[in-house]
Amino acid sequence: MKSSTRIGGLVALATGVALVAVGCSAPAEESPDSPDTLVIDKSFDLVTADPARMFETTGGIVLHAVYDSLLTFADGNAEEPLPSVAESWEVNDDATVYTFNLRDGIVFSDGSPLTSDDVVFSLDRVKNIQGNGSFLMAGLSVEAPDEDTVVITSEAPNTAVPAILTSATLGIVNKDVVEENGGTDAEDAIDTDTAEEYLNSASAGSGPYTIESFDTTTEVVLVANPEYWGEAPEYDRVVIRNATAETQLQDIQSGTAHVALDLGSDQLGALEGNDEIITSTSSSPTIFFLFANANVDVSDVTATDDFREAMKYGLDRDALLELAGDGASVAYGIIPNTYLGALGEDAAVERDVDRASAAVARLGGDVTVSLEYPNDISVAGINFGPVAERIAAQLAEVGITVELAPGPVATTLENYRNGTEEMGLWLWNPDYPDSADYLAFGPGEIVGLRAGWAEGSDPALESVMDQVSTETDAATRETLYQDFQKLENEASVIVPLFQPAATVVATTAVGQVDFDPVFQLDIAAIGK
Amino acid sequence: MLMFVLRRLGASLLLVLGTTIVAFLLTSVLPGDALTARLGERAAANAELVAKLRAELGLDRPIWEQFFIYLGGLVRGDLGLSLQSNRPVTEDLAQFGPASAELALMATVIALVVGGGLGIVAALRNNTWIDNVLRAFSLGGVSVPLFWFALVATSIFSTTLRWFPSSGRLDAGVAAPPHVTGFFTIDALLAGDLPLFGQAFEHLILPALVLSAPMVGLLMRFTRASVLDVVGQEYVRAAEAKGLAPRTVVFGHVLRGALVPVITIVGTAFASLLAGTVLVEQIFAWPGIGSYAYRSATTLDLSAIVGVTIFVALVYIVVNFVTDVLYGAIDPRIRRA
Repeated sequence: MKSSTRIGGLVALATGVALVAVGCSAPAEESPDSPDTLVIDKSFDLVTADPARMFETTGGIVLHAVYDSLLTFADGNAEEPLPSVAESWEVNDDATVYTFNLRDGIVFSDGSPLTSDDVVFSLDRVKNIQGNGSFLMAGLSVEAPDEDTVVITSEAPNTAVPAILTSATLGIVNKDVVEENGGTDAEDAIDTDTAEEYLNSASAGSGPYTIESFDTTTEVVLVANPEYWGEAPEYDRVVIRNATAETQLQDIQSGTAHVALDLGSDQLGALEGNDEIITSTSSSPTIFFLFANANVDVSDVTATDDFREAMKYGLDRDALLELAGDGASVAYGIIPNTYLGALGEDAAVERDVDRASAAVARLGGDVTVSLEYPNDISVAGINFGPVAERIAAQLAEVGITVELAPGPVATTLENYRNGTEEMGLWLWNPDYPDSADYLAFGPGEIVGLRAGWAEGSDPALESVMDQVSTETDAATRETLYQDFQKLENEASVIVPLFQPAATVVATTAVGQVDFDPVFQLDIAAIGK
Repeated sequence: MLMFVLRRLGASLLLVLGTTIVAFLLTSVLPGDALTARLGERAAANAELVAKLRAELGLDRPIWEQFFIYLGGLVRGDLGLSLQSNRPVTEDLAQFGPASAELALMATVIALVVGGGLGIVAALRNNTWIDNVLRAFSLGGVSVPLFWFALVATSIFSTTLRWFPSSGRLDAGVAAPPHVTGFFTIDALLAGDLPLFGQAFEHLILPALVLSAPMVGLLMRFTRASVLDVVGQEYVRAAEAKGLAPRTVVFGHVLRGALVPVITIVGTAFASLLAGTVLVEQIFAWPGIGSYAYRSATTLDLSAIVGVTIFVALVYIVVNFVTDVLYGAIDPRIRRA
């Protein structure tokens, strides 16, 4: 009939318009082959490009490329801080006074020289804005005796200062530019500093890149800083795009992205045999852990020694590791295996069903507890749900009924931080690459309190924590960190489970890209 | 007519108010808040800082007080501050709304052209093999899970054939056209940038195609039934008896009568597509209202959640209003009534 012919004609016309329009643009696969533009896919947790307010993973990746810090880590090394803006440094015997000598010839992206005034301003601004990363400056004060020297004084002995100073949060900003745009390092900066808007649209750093555009939901575009004092980066332009793991897989397969950072084992399986893809897997410093609340007001079951013994010996850590994918490793202690004092396999706790069951029997037989965990986030492709289910199954075999209580992180986080979860399954990413960060898991400390583990609960353990906090000798510190973890394992309020693998996928056009244990990704090092 | 418009306007305002109350209260009674979720581990342990920020954001006040403060802002067009984006919600909606609207509009056009066209063909070829094939096709369109269709479509058209990009509104790092409507295709044309228009169109096609799939099936079935219903009417038979050409009968009489119910469904389809783009936006990394709503919900970003809810309610109200007007334009009986 003529009518259907007409409709068919309309459809054809619409299709024709589409094809003509598409023909006007460059083919989809041309963009990634551009030699000067590197496209990185990342699941964003981006909030701000203001170093003093930033303390997120994606922000750390971006700002590490834009702002130099006094010290840095490089080449996947997370053990020994290296010179950056500071060419050299000295520390006094009790690790309370650090003197940094600044490198000559460093200029910001606008060509103005970087001086000790900029360093003092940057660090004081972080401290006084009281953002998520301001704790890094807790107990520290900064002075500039001359243009090329910075002295950082700690209220208490603190050997972690060099590692702390590598953080992108402590990146050095151009004081004049930031002040011109509403920035201040005054004590009331939390109320008076208004430079964030400017820093979200431009950059005021001396790093290898500058910010061309910054959108917390879609993409960040960086361009090479022509004034950079170090070796120029391989790529003149870098685009970091927000994409879910599924989209990252599509993008890397179709060639619209060069690097993908969040692929889990499911997505990685789809890339097997693809000779245009290079996969690099290494150990992540993230720790998944389980806790049983030690506060008797929260639970008179989990607060008992018998329950903790049952949990400790009822868990099969190797079986849990299967859920963490290839390259993951059992956490023998709470300190990740790349840091000073990490425990080895000799500290492994073997599953002992009889011993665990006996402990449950001492509690009067079958016990029921609830286990809370976030069900809307995944790290390295690992969801908490399957891990919690396997824990429940393992503990059921020793007589513990675990009622799973998942929830969105926005709601479960509150119970966790209030210390009201009977049992909790969570993870910890290092705030800075030093074992001192893991003292947070002790009694009376941040994570310890969330597990109901009050100060004074374990004097022997707390004594070790006190000692290691002020110890300046590396060898002694290593021993003390090991003692700390052994006592933690013995108490078993908090049980470390595993460290997931960190996998970075890149196309052959870029070459192998390795996970960076400190910054997750060192953009300026890609292609070198 | 004026009374009719005023009544509709009054009902719409009540609807917006009711929607605001429900969204606000439901979000407020949930445990946790956006501030807690946004603070880092160490900052959250700083009770003094938390108290200060809660006071600044008014989160320390009773819910009813927070609600009336919000309503006061709403009257002034202030939807509050989104804690996830750190921007006014109105700015976020102005950025993400057009992205979703462009996607939903394209999907509606595809659904109308393909679904409507095939529905007419099926009706005019009633009970033939063509009709049977098209009915099976429409059933498939309605039944196939959207996420599955999206994955298959990207696998074929992006990964294998590389005809269309797999994500985003433009290629990586390409600047958006100057903002006029927020529709990249239209804004690119207004800027006279044909290559950019082509690129925006290319990015739009695949997600719109996927989003339209269930609507294509639905519209096909609906149009077919509507046309069949009208074909049997006496005025159509009278037109045929007068010896009018079949094309004149179809386009002059059949489609005119059959289009009225189809317009209803197209209107609500557009609104529901706009409100239901979450999945497609997530898969195609499309920075629209669906992705924004998802992030808002998962972070308990109260202002953003209520803002999105009001936005969607307004879309439904406007679409219903436009549908009513179109009704009258197409069907003289409704206009006279």
